[in-house]
Amino acid sequence: MSASLVSLAGRLRRLLGSENVLDARSELVVYECDGFTVAKNAPDIAVFPRSVEDVAQIVRCCRKYDVPFLPRGAGTSLAGGCLPVGGGVMIVLTRMREILEVHLRDRYAIVEPGVVNAWLNRHLAGTGFHYAPDPSSQSACTIGGNVATNSGGPHTLKYGVTTNHVLGLEMVTSEGEIVRLGGPTEDPLGIDLVGTMVGSEGTLGIVTRIWVRLTRNPQGVRTMLAIFESVDEATQSISEIIGAGIIPAALEMMDQGIVEALEAAFHFGFPLDAEAILLIEVDGLEAGLDQQRDRITDICNQNGAREVQLATTEKERQELWKCRKRAFGAIGRLSPSFCTQDGVVPRTQLPHIFRKIREISAEHDIRIVNVFHAGDGNLHPILLFDERSPEQVHRVLEASKAILDECIACGGSVTGEHGIGVEKISYMKKLFSESDLEVMERLRSALNPHGRLSPGKMLPTAGACGMEQVHPGRRAAL
Amino acid sequence: MQNLPTTETMSPVSVADVPDMIRAAHDAKQAIYTIGGGTSLEYGVAPTRTGYALETTGLSRVVDYTPRDMTIVAEAGVRVRDLGQTLATEKQQLPIDAPRATEATIGGLVASNWSGPRRYGYGTLRDYVIGISAVDGRGVPFKGGGRVVKNVAGYDFCKLLTGSLGTLGIITQLTFKLKPQSEQAVTLLVPCEDLDVAEQVLVTLVDVPSPPAAIDLLVGTGWKELAGLSESASANLVAVRLEGSETEVSAMCDQLQAELVSASRADVLILDRIAGDSLLNSQIEFSDRGIAAGGDSTPLTAKITALPSAVTQLVARLLQYDPDCTIQAHAGTGVIIVRFAKFQASDLTTFLIGQLRPAAIRAGGGLSILSSEFEDLTSQIVWGGRVASSGLMEQIKQKFDPRGILNPGRFMFQA
Repeated sequence: MSASLVSLAGRLRRLLGSENVLDARSELVVYECDGFTVAKNAPDIAVFPRSVEDVAQIVRCCRKYDVPFLPRGAGTSLAGGCLPVGGGVMIVLTRMREILEVHLRDRYAIVEPGVVNAWLNRHLAGTGFHYAPDPSSQSACTIGGNVATNSGGPHTLKYGVTTNHVLGLEMVTSEGEIVRLGGPTEDPLGIDLVGTMVGSEGTLGIVTRIWVRLTRNPQGVRTMLAIFESVDEATQSISEIIGAGIIPAALEMMDQGIVEALEAAFHFGFPLDAEAILLIEVDGLEAGLDQQRDRITDICNQNGAREVQLATTEKERQELWKCRKRAFGAIGRLSPSFCTQDGVVPRTQLPHIFRKIREISAEHDIRIVNVFHAGDGNLHPILLFDERSPEQVHRVLEASKAILDECIACGGSVTGEHGIGVEKISYMKKLFSESDLEVMERLRSALNPHGRLSPGKMLPTAGACGMEQVHPGRRAAL
Repeated sequence: MQNLPTTETMSPVSVADVPDMIRAAHDAKQAIYTIGGGTSLEYGVAPTRTGYALETTGLSRVVDYTPRDMTIVAEAGVRVRDLGQTLATEKQQLPIDAPRATEATIGGLVASNWSGPRRYGYGTLRDYVIGISAVDGRGVPFKGGGRVVKNVAGYDFCKLLTGSLGTLGIITQLTFKLKPQSEQAVTLLVPCEDLDVAEQVLVTLVDVPSPPAAIDLLVGTGWKELAGLSESASANLVAVRLEGSETEVSAMCDQLQAELVSASRADVLILDRIAGDSLLNSQIEFSDRGIAAGGDSTPLTAKITALPSAVTQLVARLLQYDPDCTIQAHAGTGVIIVRFAKFQASDLTTFLIGQLRPAAIRAGGGLSILSSEFEDLTSQIVWGGRVASSGLMEQIKQKFDPRGILNPGRFMFQA
């Protein structure tokens, strides 16, 4: 560590107490990557602020020493959003974890960024309200991290993603100022800085407090599982359900490969020759639910469903969800390593993209299985391989690229919920024109003028030309 | 319509025309006032700098509509009503309530982030704009988002530009996420003896298991007459609009009726779809022209935002100042629109700035003027003074419009 960094570490220790500062190499290994394990680089110093004032002081110190810095939540992100490119100071927000206020009459809560997503709903149990965004990593990921990546989840089809549920933010700017944006009321005056911050992947400011919208719990829920002989029948059913004016709370699909893995691991009793399974949930007023359930069942049957199972009790519902939630755990049965992609296509392109994924799988000789948020057209193809074989690794990267290119060609996007981070920087030029990126760069330079905050992320223009990938990511959580 | 100080008018007929037009204005240091349907030109500080008008109504193509994707791509000059009619052929909707929809354009709607009563059940434009193309103050075209409903690639220009009043870029094309039209709608009208009773009714509504499409507290004799209520009836009405399938609406209606009768200790009227739609239409047009069929005049229309729990207190404060004012409070979301019957110019500082705005700020929100008969209102009066984030807004403005030519002086920040 350079003399300047040693001096900065000393200063941060005096400021925060030595229990809130790490700078020993051995202790920093934990912080060298997030869920995107391809790229690793430990920060020089990790700090654990306990208040917004701490964060502001840390940022001012970094500014003084001209050292890059970035925020981190639980580190569950999947695109390298909290990789400390170029080292510097990592501001870990997990010790700011209070649920500060809950107001049911006005339907909002105020939380600190380190509050784990699931804690808030545990806290709200029994009130009749919940916080809607439910990324599958919700038992570990923090709400601050959800704000940075604009997280989704299975139930965002009906309820919307994080940005639709964040009313206000307190943040520390890249220059160390504390600023409040929005608050508990709607339509704050001026331009929508809250909406601009959400999903900005920690490049525009460090969020220290969040005003979130609370949603009334639905009165009832109906969950069903439809088994199809072919992927086309399943995707056609999805299209018709939405076309019939029904917006399910969740609409998830698993293909034959996933079913095989689930059967090998958990013996749910699914037929191994079925190409696709849809998990469909509708919620809302009890009175309208049976009608919706029947309509969905009819649509599935008309499209050749072999069987539609209905959960009649909460226990049965949990059983149906179990197969979806355990899908990732089961993949270990299929191969030693796997890489999860995150692409989006317009819903009507689902049959097309599936045919393409099959072709790509054959062409690159890489097995690909699918479990994903079908209702939003948000794909998560999982590429199976053995990371000990450099040749397989190479084919996985080529196949991933082919899938994402096809998503773009279909009018879609290369990320629905995982973010650009460092993983997908090179795709930004495929999705956006030079002038689009130049204007994005201007937005970043407006709020992050010296580029010290989260450098090397999201945009290809700030010296980050895109990671030359030599190794695909392995872990996944949806 | 407010007269804009424009010397010439530019009328692009294609999205590709816009960058050159802005570049020319940028080079000539001329201001640009973007005009869609011209329905909310009074919104914001009155412009003083002369410049060019840029009319977007020639950008009127629907670029792509794939009903099964439930998204539509359209140019900014498409009229709101026309868009609605296109969507209605597929039983879909963009559930944003816009006054003067036959004139208003979708670009203007998004630039002004307009919303109406159904924002409670459906959300606002920030929940529906999933793709946006615009041209910044240097003539550089840019886009954000895309055509898919879930997308986190790049900065969210959809949010940045929605409600930016044309000050960061001129919107040329929009992609919206859509909703299915609802099969049935019923409106419950609850006369409340006083505002305390109204608060009881509103509290009851927070807890209903399925949120209504709209919860409006309507105060003033005009509303009462419109709803056909007798002269002796209360002038505080809570209008609850339910939308959904036949089964859902009928179940919700039965359940709510009982609860609302108990909360209000009054008879609850049920308006069928036709009567309910007619009332909704008046609610949508209210901010623009009041309640009377031909429109009624008002010296000042203001929008107050506050916590929902503070709405009735603020309404009481408004009535104390002007007992004859007419109020529409989107009570579920805490957005209050007030049309004053009388308002003295001197009260702009004493009452509006001195009392009402501080009360709104104490209630968690703020106050802005939507339109008024007073001339030369400053930004301080229209929007309020600087806020904590004004500096950040100005830094962004400087990057997007370095010469300050886009709608100069009209919004809440400098330039």
